[in-house]
Amino acid sequence: MSDRHTSRLLRPETLTAIGIIVVAAFFLLATTDLRPISALLPGAMLSGLVVLAVALLVRDQRKASDGEPPVQLSRAPMRVIGAFALIVGYALATDFIGFYPSTIAIIPLVSALFGFRNPLGLLAATVIVVGAVYLIFDFGMSQDFPAGRLWQN
Amino acid sequence: MYSDLLHALPEVFGLTNFFAVIIGVVAGIVVGAMPGLSATMAISVLVPFTFGLEPLVALGLMAGIYNGAMYGGAIPAVLLRIPGTPAAVATTFDGYPMAQKGQGGFALQVAVVSSSIGGIASAFALMLLAPPLSKVTLLFGPSEVFWVAVFGLASIIFLLGGNPIKGLISACFGVFVSVIGSDPIYGNDRFTFGQLELLDGINMVILLVGLYALPPVIDLLETPLKTDGIGKSQLGTEPIWKTLPRMKHFWKTWLRSSFIGIWIGILPGAGGSMAAFMSYNEARRASKNPEAWGEGEPEGVAAAETANNADTASALIPALTLGIPGTAVAAVMLGGLLVHGLQPGPMLFRDNPDIVFGFMWQFLFGAILLVLLGGSLATNSFARLLNLPRPLLGSIIIVLMLIGVYSIHGRMFDVYMMLGFGAVGWVMDKLKFPLPPVVLGLILGGFAEENLRLALRIGRGDWMVLFSNVTSLVIVALTVAVIVGPILKKKFARPKTQDAT
Amino acid sequence: MFNSIKYATVIGATLIAGAAMAQDYPEKPIEVIVGYSAGGGTDVMARTAAPFIEKYLGDGASLVVKNVPGASGQIGVTEVANADPDGYTLGTFNLPGMMARTIDREADYSAESFTYLANVVNDPNVIVTSKRSGIETMDQLVEEARANPGAVTVGMSSLGGDDHFMLIKLQNLTESEFTIVPFRGSAPARTALMGGHVAMGILNISEVASFQDDLNVLGIATTERSDFAPDLPTFSEQGYELVNGSMRGFVAPKGLPEDVEAKLVAAFEQLNGDEEFLAAMAATSNPVEVVTGDDFQVLTQELWDLAKAVWDETPWN
Repeated sequence: MSDRHTSRLLRPETLTAIGIIVVAAFFLLATTDLRPISALLPGAMLSGLVVLAVALLVRDQRKASDGEPPVQLSRAPMRVIGAFALIVGYALATDFIGFYPSTIAIIPLVSALFGFRNPLGLLAATVIVVGAVYLIFDFGMSQDFPAGRLWQN
Repeated sequence: MYSDLLHALPEVFGLTNFFAVIIGVVAGIVVGAMPGLSATMAISVLVPFTFGLEPLVALGLMAGIYNGAMYGGAIPAVLLRIPGTPAAVATTFDGYPMAQKGQGGFALQVAVVSSSIGGIASAFALMLLAPPLSKVTLLFGPSEVFWVAVFGLASIIFLLGGNPIKGLISACFGVFVSVIGSDPIYGNDRFTFGQLELLDGINMVILLVGLYALPPVIDLLETPLKTDGIGKSQLGTEPIWKTLPRMKHFWKTWLRSSFIGIWIGILPGAGGSMAAFMSYNEARRASKNPEAWGEGEPEGVAAAETANNADTASALIPALTLGIPGTAVAAVMLGGLLVHGLQPGPMLFRDNPDIVFGFMWQFLFGAILLVLLGGSLATNSFARLLNLPRPLLGSIIIVLMLIGVYSIHGRMFDVYMMLGFGAVGWVMDKLKFPLPPVVLGLILGGFAEENLRLALRIGRGDWMVLFSNVTSLVIVALTVAVIVGPILKKKFARPKTQDAT
Repeated sequence: MFNSIKYATVIGATLIAGAAMAQDYPEKPIEVIVGYSAGGGTDVMARTAAPFIEKYLGDGASLVVKNVPGASGQIGVTEVANADPDGYTLGTFNLPGMMARTIDREADYSAESFTYLANVVNDPNVIVTSKRSGIETMDQLVEEARANPGAVTVGMSSLGGDDHFMLIKLQNLTESEFTIVPFRGSAPARTALMGGHVAMGILNISEVASFQDDLNVLGIATTERSDFAPDLPTFSEQGYELVNGSMRGFVAPKGLPEDVEAKLVAAFEQLNGDEEFLAAMAATSNPVEVVTGDDFQVLTQELWDLAKAVWDETPWN
């Protein structure tokens, strides 16, 4: 990777270690409101996380001084971000627009965007999945899925 | 009592009752095999629906689902490294490497045979030994249960993987997540930031789906390949009767793991994952070639799958006799019993013998049916699913994850939480943080704390209460012998090997 | 623009619904929100009662139970408090728990948020001791607790519940002191009692009815003996004035149209005399005591006062 020399602080393990320290420290502050016995276990775990993350940080920085290349998180970062964004978008759409419309949209959308574009296959898969979910959960078990917050109230 | 057992038998063979078990087993395998859907969720969706069914039909469905799902969870664990149920986490250790070596079919056959054996052993324990085993449960008060949890937590040492710092970070993370919610004694909030949804703690299934199912989905979409690497040819499925002889030498593991599974099942609260982890560790310790474990050792699959089915029926022993379920799934099933007016307790066996003993038979038949239904039928059809184009498979799993997590409590909050865990899980996966310590930490952390604090209240603040009875001391000794012992031995042995090199 | 049209439509729809309601309530399914998972005691009560309410409402009325579990029922009851008061959303209501939650934590509802329909179940407290404790009567128990303050450990299901308030009443009445061990739920507490890990327990009669051989049940906190255990003497028979229990009933959001409220309360009132209903409730270990309308509201207020008094003296978290 070309950015090996740009910054030692941007190595994934270092970033993760710093992230753990920040989050654990934040939660540690929240333990101060608790009774001592109540704070014992969470406090111990959070302090443990801070200590371990410091150890992780030191070790990764040593590796950086030795010129070891950082761990590569992904070969195709854009695809990963895109996939994650689509999943989050699907959850939000289910919440606001409703489960069935979102599901009917997401299966062909994800498949097509990531390389499977056979229209017949997409149609068949969508119909089978949505149909089975409807028959089993909605019809069979009278299980309610979100109808969409936009349409309620 | 044994005559009651036989008296209940004809009822079980009634057409609808028996059919319910069959349907249950098939549905269970499917639910377990779908990443994102779990047995807990399936049974909690089923409970309100069973209100209108005959008791034995409802219970047969539940017994079948429980048995089926505990095996079904192994299918994606082996083929995709996504445990279909929490208890299948240990199955991924050797199951997935086997699939990569082209032995996926054999791994699934080992899983189904072992699951069935564990389930049968457990059903017999439930049928024949329920009253005496419930006496064993009574021996375990808060301080004893605390030590059992410590035993389980200490065994995390074996799951740390190659990098102890990362392994311990995983474990601390898991234990920390387990304390989120209301304080076990005072009931005040801890780290919920005013979210009522967090008060009851974070459900195991939410964390598991996030950590284990989301990262592989991202991987499926990340690699621009049209079909998955595991083709039909590579699965290597032979008819099951041809592979049976190759499993003969597992009998010791089957026996040991059944025993461990039953034992963990009768202790309240710990549940299937702990049984599978413990039996995996013990089987590896007893093995002649422990180095091969984790690289695709069929015996590892056998150990994990026997144990996670061996605690199904036995988890119902404390549930039926005392009202305290041994696993999360048994807890939901208890609700299914209450719906039919079956109150747990000694009177249950006197007042409704036909239903209770019939339910036990259904567990036994469910376990036997597992081999027939899960053997070739289910295994082959599910393996074929993996030949779907990867983007399509990914998108279907996304939908299943949402349904599975949403249906537990019927709220989107859990889905968002699952996505958060998914992001964490993806980073952990890429940076090679081991996931099993998170799972074990979540199951046992809060459990250990709750029992410690109850014990301290009983002892009025005196810590010696933890060592004040024989059962506690026996478990402490066992922990030292099984976990601390081997580590010390390794420590003392190490200087010698260093000299040699 | 879009919003204002939507708003107008909603208002219009509500008005039409309001006008129509007066004559022929109910004209669509009524949702009953249960704050616990399917299969819990409250859920079983709601599902057992539902067909009988349908029968007494008449006109093909239909009740649909919806489980909204979480935070010991708080999520569900908050949803009821915030629902439209049109009679199509009812909810289950647990006492003293629902009132205690308004005191020991932030709650988005209060005793004023509801229209009180009916309390249906009253599950009285019982005091039990472990067989191993050697304590077999109330007098022995009180003597022991007075002689060694705090030496008697008491297993119960949680702090801030009916069992906790029962113990506070006992302590105040007998000027004694006990050590509380709050398990998560009554089944673990009962198991610890059977195993002799705690000496005494406060439970409800429905929870010990089938365990009477394995535990010493010392008495029941009612004014008259319970059908669940006719041989079990009340505390007042033994000289201790203790009456306490756990209650479950039905409420609707505040501001229900009067005629709808009257129709619902009338339906609940008829439960009391329905033999079939009483039998169905007995089969699921639910002791029935129907208290409707204003009396139920008064009862709730009394329990709030009790919880508040206990909290002011000995806050439990």
